Amino acid sequence: MKEYKVIGKSVRRLDAVEKATGTAGFTSDMKLPGMLYGKVLRSPHPHARIVSIDTSEAEKLPGVKAVATHKNTSRELFNTSATMTFTVPPMQPVLDQYIFDNVVRYVGDEVAAVAATSEKIAEAALKLIKVEYELLPTVYDPKEAMTTEAPVIHQCEMKNVPGEVIQIPFGDVEKGFAESDVIVEKEYKLPVVKQAQMETQAAVAQVSLDGKITVWCTTQTPHPTKMILAKLFSVPESKVRVLNPPYIGGGFGVRIGCSAKAEPIAVALSMLAKKPVKVVYSREEDFIASDTRHAGYVSVKLGAKKDGTFHAMHLKATLNGGAYCSFSVETPGVLGCMGLAVYRVPNQFYYGHSAYTNTTPAGAMRGFGNPQAMYAIESTVDMMAEKLGIDPLELRLKNIMQVGDPWVLPYKCGSTGLAECIEKGAKSIGWENRGKLNKPGAKKLRGIGMGVGTHVSNAWPFCGDYDNAYVTIQQDGSVHLASGVPDMGTGTSTTLPQLTAEVVGVSLDRVSMTLADTASTPFDIGSHASRALYAAGTAVVEAARDARRQVLEYAADLFKVAPERLVLEDSVIFPAGQTAGDDCAGSPVCTIGGKERKSITLKELAYDAHQRNKQFIGVGRIVPENAPPWHAHFAEVEVDTELCQVRVLRVAAVHDVGKAIHPVICEGQIEGGVLQGIGYALSEEIKYDDRGRQLENSFHKYMLPTADDVPEIETGLVEAHEPSGPFGAKGVGECGLVPTAPAITNAIYNATGIWFCEIPVTEEKMFRALKEKAGKTV
Amino acid sequence: MSLKILKFTLNGDPIEIAISPDEMLIDVLRDKLELTGTKKGCGKGECGACTVIMNGEAVNSCLVPAMKASCAVVETIEGVGSTDEFHPVQETFMDMGAIQCGFCTPGMIMSAKALLDRNTDPTSKEIKKSLAGNICRCTGYVKIKKAVQAAAEKMREKQ
Amino acid sequence: MLQDYLFPETVNEAVSFLQDHEGQARIIAGGTDLMLDIPEGKIETNYLVDISRIPELREITMKDDLIYIGAAVTHNQVASSELIQKNAAALAQAAGYVGSHQIRNAGTVVGNVCNAQPAADAAVALVALGATAEITTPAGQEYVPVEKMYAGVGRSTIDSTSQLVTRVSFPVAQKNQGTAFVRLHQRNALALPMLNVAVMVTLENGRFLWARICMAPVGPGPMRTLGAEEVLKGAEITPEVIEKAAQAVLEHANPRDSALRGSKEYRTSVLPVLVRRALGQAVVDAGGPSN
Ligand code: FES
Ligand code: FES
Repeated sequence: MKEYKVIGKSVRRLDAVEKATGTAGFTSDMKLPGMLYGKVLRSPHPHARIVSIDTSEAEKLPGVKAVATHKNTSRELFNTSATMTFTVPPMQPVLDQYIFDNVVRYVGDEVAAVAATSEKIAEAALKLIKVEYELLPTVYDPKEAMTTEAPVIHQCEMKNVPGEVIQIPFGDVEKGFAESDVIVEKEYKLPVVKQAQMETQAAVAQVSLDGKITVWCTTQTPHPTKMILAKLFSVPESKVRVLNPPYIGGGFGVRIGCSAKAEPIAVALSMLAKKPVKVVYSREEDFIASDTRHAGYVSVKLGAKKDGTFHAMHLKATLNGGAYCSFSVETPGVLGCMGLAVYRVPNQFYYGHSAYTNTTPAGAMRGFGNPQAMYAIESTVDMMAEKLGIDPLELRLKNIMQVGDPWVLPYKCGSTGLAECIEKGAKSIGWENRGKLNKPGAKKLRGIGMGVGTHVSNAWPFCGDYDNAYVTIQQDGSVHLASGVPDMGTGTSTTLPQLTAEVVGVSLDRVSMTLADTASTPFDIGSHASRALYAAGTAVVEAARDARRQVLEYAADLFKVAPERLVLEDSVIFPAGQTAGDDCAGSPVCTIGGKERKSITLKELAYDAHQRNKQFIGVGRIVPENAPPWHAHFAEVEVDTELCQVRVLRVAAVHDVGKAIHPVICEGQIEGGVLQGIGYALSEEIKYDDRGRQLENSFHKYMLPTADDVPEIETGLVEAHEPSGPFGAKGVGECGLVPTAPAITNAIYNATGIWFCEIPVTEEKMFRALKEKAGKTV
Repeated sequence: MSLKILKFTLNGDPIEIAISPDEMLIDVLRDKLELTGTKKGCGKGECGACTVIMNGEAVNSCLVPAMKASCAVVETIEGVGSTDEFHPVQETFMDMGAIQCGFCTPGMIMSAKALLDRNTDPTSKEIKKSLAGNICRCTGYVKIKKAVQAAAEKMREKQ
Repeated sequence: MLQDYLFPETVNEAVSFLQDHEGQARIIAGGTDLMLDIPEGKIETNYLVDISRIPELREITMKDDLIYIGAAVTHNQVASSELIQKNAAALAQAAGYVGSHQIRNAGTVVGNVCNAQPAADAAVALVALGATAEITTPAGQEYVPVEKMYAGVGRSTIDSTSQLVTRVSFPVAQKNQGTAFVRLHQRNALALPMLNVAVMVTLENGRFLWARICMAPVGPGPMRTLGAEEVLKGAEITPEVIEKAAQAVLEHANPRDSALRGSKEYRTSVLPVLVRRALGQAVVDAGGPSN
């Protein structure tokens, strides 16, 4: 195997110093001369028509510079998510939002906004806006939303269903079930959960007097966001600059496209006030008025032969899309495709869609439908194992997808290390102890469970995906990388320079990167879909190769050898077979600065080129394929049957990441995902009261795990080389969340004998289930 | 409302600044003194992103009335370490993967520093308790806890 | 609107300022609750009178068989005090559960009582300890059992615009006395309790001499459960007796249905478990048998 110099090494992150010293730039820290502060008036009602809105008192308040409502802002329909910029034809993006509308559709929906000289004044002004509402009927459940009695939230072809129903046929599912010996069928109910990234949605907009728009913001997708804003405000895209400053306090999908409406509102206010405007969501606004994960229903019908061979699967999803579409068309698509991609099942069918309701819009969140799919499927697989009397681990090993197997996806399954992940994880958790953990009569019961899954490494085929990068050799031989992709914490600002350094042949400290700025980087669709390293990385590798090729061609002229004979290593160029400084008579030499040399540094070469009016500019332009990362999670839980509480004791998470470009970053992605998955399984949930209000709207009420709630998490990496990825790498960002919940609920079953078909498994649910079970056994 | 003069020591420097008595320490630090290393994640004491050390104790600067800082010694992330010599917690956070998006990091480092300033041999339970008020949504805390342990070790070696 | 923020140097100075400003001035200690209520408009005041620098209020002291906790003593100071750990383990544990480390560094135990939240951890422990509050007004001092300081949900009998709770006190523990605090919560930090229970027991010759059991949130404030205490009085220390007492608490407990922190039914069903566990721990703390 080739020895790499830069990749595969867990170097200190290039953003570490700034972040550890508090000097890293975030949108919420920005201040511009003359900057105003924007605040948003939000609907207290889940569904209402605005009969009248009077802003005159607010406008009179000293310090108020602009008040925006549906009356004085863009009437262009849009979608805050990036779907409106990269939906693949013949599908059409759903555009169903205005910045402000005269109908509000969920508690928190935008009604008006104020820009003032201070946040306090802006807040005071909001209280002076008089709005008269006419209440409209409401619906909160996606199944109910599709019935004839439900109010229409948006006009759709199928009642309240945004876009279209996704149907994925594969084989003959009817026949498949007819031929199956054992069939298990279950419906699962999923909660609304929240990304709860640490930096709330934020944007600072500056509209110059000649109409150019600059927006610093928390978006995960600067280029698509630029496209959205250009359309919304009827400005040429070339005059809109969107950038991160350059960091984002997390994302997890919540800002693929706009940061909720922070950017459009900041721009609208800035246009009215002719001053820069900063909009930072409060934590409560972030909770109630920015996209959540899709809740809803997923049902699985699985058929198998007696020997355990899966033969047919029917998967169905009805997701709660909330009040506006966002990613409500793509999410059921990914849910279906990922759900159907894990096991070799010759006969499958998927039917899925979202439905509008009067709740906070649901959009992208880490895993994008996949955690919903795998909770349902992996629970069902364990039920099947029990029915068949086969060890769940064996049953999985028997049925998992293999390289080259036919599947529903339009790209190849080019690699899988899943079997190895399962074996390693089983060893780490002590699978052989499963079923032997409890003494008779114990009140605290322990159990072990597992779940597996796959995911994507970029966004295609669910939306368009192509990428570009520039690698520019500076006049001193140092290297500059420009990529449009952000670093929302996942480490792209380290790993992409690692790729660059490796390919060009320089050390990492010679590389710097400009990222996430539409004015200085070429188009990229953003950081999501676990794609930044795989897709943007492929473009970076391409650009770096191009730059290196140009360097070597230039050097070849000097050495008078073919470029292929030259080596560029550690910033030194020399003919192959000879090391720098070697005195090897008769070998090629180059003349530079009047001296004959056997090697030449990149620094000298770049400066020589500069003096001859030339710079090496590498361009990468790629259309990525896609590739499946794989993962197996194991959990050990303890259920206190008296207090009805579940505690996760240990998680073993083993992931096939292709090549780990930066192993510690890979582990960090997995660990973070695992903890979010634990929250998904046990405690995180946003419920609504009967007036459509979000009950969990703060960190205090929303039960995400703290540092004192973390079990032992053991991560393992498996490197099954992926031919389509940069150096064999594939996606990892989202994967940690995908199979965590079912590993936990399966462990709970192992401990208690109770299947939970609804998460999170709160104290309350455990109480009811234990009570029901006791009732049955008496 | 009349302004008050607030005097305190901030990162070793004397500060004298006119504030209104209802201002919170976080806003004085971030807006008035432009020390934006201290982050606001919730403004309600529920996330720890705003953690600073006041008279040796980690506190949520979003819950501290700025006037409470009068005559106090306040440390923010800007006063911790320097590029010549990072604090051991900064070193280990940087090298052990304890930083992802970085938004929780300043608060997390302040909480860890407050702990280690008083005890360079904390148990894993003490570390958990000291950091439980600092939400990190990126890391799952695994590497953060390890980094704090490693920093403690470094500090013990130095002693 | 807030006009000034003051640091009186003595208790007298503080209470006379309150008196002079007739309801327009209010006591602040740690401020971790108050500084949420003021911006939200729940509380309005012109003057905040910060008592956290009054030397005598910053101490935990022992005098004449009583332990005193001053009004400026924080949760973390209580949680880490050896004196408290030794004499009132329940209180040390309770204080260690409040909010988060940062909140415990600022918020005070006395403030926890005055804020009158139904399930205030420290208050629950103090009631079990039989603690008394010393209330200072310009007229002098009054002494009120902590148990009697609740006027309703979220309402204290203390008016912080005219009264200052200067300290709370409770007796030094005897050898045969023990306390314990248990808490049911959805996560280990930054969470209000779904239920909390504090108990104090006095043992003699293998029997309970007497016990105090306090629980929350099962009513407007921390609630004693006299029926269960009665069960224990003079009874032999056995798992059966403990279980009987644990079941007896339900006579008094009336937890609400909370969409956030559990249904009435769930909480009612697990409350005896918590009481049983707390009693078991307290017996051990008192040097009794563990089972
Ligand atoms: S901002 Fe202070 S605790 Fe969240
Ligand atoms: S690193 Fe992102 S929240 Fe901690």
